[in-house]
Amino acid sequence: MESTSPTALADLVRRAQKGDENAQRELIVSYQHRVAGFVYAMTGRSDYVEDLAQQVFIKMVRAIDRLQAPAQFESWLFRLARNTCIDQLRRQKLRRIFLPFGEEHENIPEPPGAVDSEELDALRHALDQLRPQDRALLALVQEGRSHAEIAETLGTSVAAVKARLHRAREHLREHYQPEHET
Amino acid sequence: MKPESDAWQALNRHAAAQLRGGFADRVLRAAHGPQPEAWRQLQSRGAAQLRPGFAERVLRAARAAADMPSLGSQFVLSAATAALCVLAVIYFHQRNVAAADERNLAEWRQVVTVAEDFDAGQL
Repeated sequence: MESTSPTALADLVRRAQKGDENAQRELIVSYQHRVAGFVYAMTGRSDYVEDLAQQVFIKMVRAIDRLQAPAQFESWLFRLARNTCIDQLRRQKLRRIFLPFGEEHENIPEPPGAVDSEELDALRHALDQLRPQDRALLALVQEGRSHAEIAETLGTSVAAVKARLHRAREHLREHYQPEHET
Repeated sequence: MKPESDAWQALNRHAAAQLRGGFADRVLRAAHGPQPEAWRQLQSRGAAQLRPGFAERVLRAARAAADMPSLGSQFVLSAATAALCVLAVIYFHQRNVAAADERNLAEWRQVVTVAEDFDAGQL
């Protein structure tokens, strides 16, 4: 969707809001890879990506008619993605409390050869050490969301976003050790 | 070369031998944090997890979800069913109580009649 102008995107969103299934499909196809990447950054689990991305887009289809400003579509979509991932991580944490033995089954390592490079492996490891909220912050910045948009998403001030982002980047750097010992 | 310098050089060599290849690169990477390339790989890896036909599956699931009754309507239906059950229980209870009262009253009337007959006979 990067190549589409804001006006064309707003038109597409308006059509999707009226229930035009082709427009909804076009939106999904345009954003599915970015949302999948965001979900992967948030959860670090390949096996969650399809399910969570699907949940995000189902929410999008069902709630798009309530989106007031079509121009804000991207930031709204990534807010849905962030909330869906954080809900999933919370549920996972709760499950660990009630099913303590589930943890070892839930943290199945990526299959051999699944990790493409040392840098990616290190980034996944470093992200895994951060709080989900900080992971979301960094992933939203990577998605090109502005500080103002993130502040709106999180219901906080731009200054608070900058401070949290600074801390999150520091933590990420601390844990980012290519060729880390696992 | 003095023996002390030899010792220092041996120490340096030993220390240097502890560093694995690509040490400088690793230090620089750790100091600068993840580069855009690592983020790009993360994004690609996530995107690669989606099976073909993802959009169609989402739309199908969204349609199926839309066909399902909403949580609100399910709650209203449950509440209405519960209210109907309570009303039915109250109605049948009242009817049973009324029938029992009538039966008891009839029996009492009979007892009273017998008692009155008995009193009349005694007098």
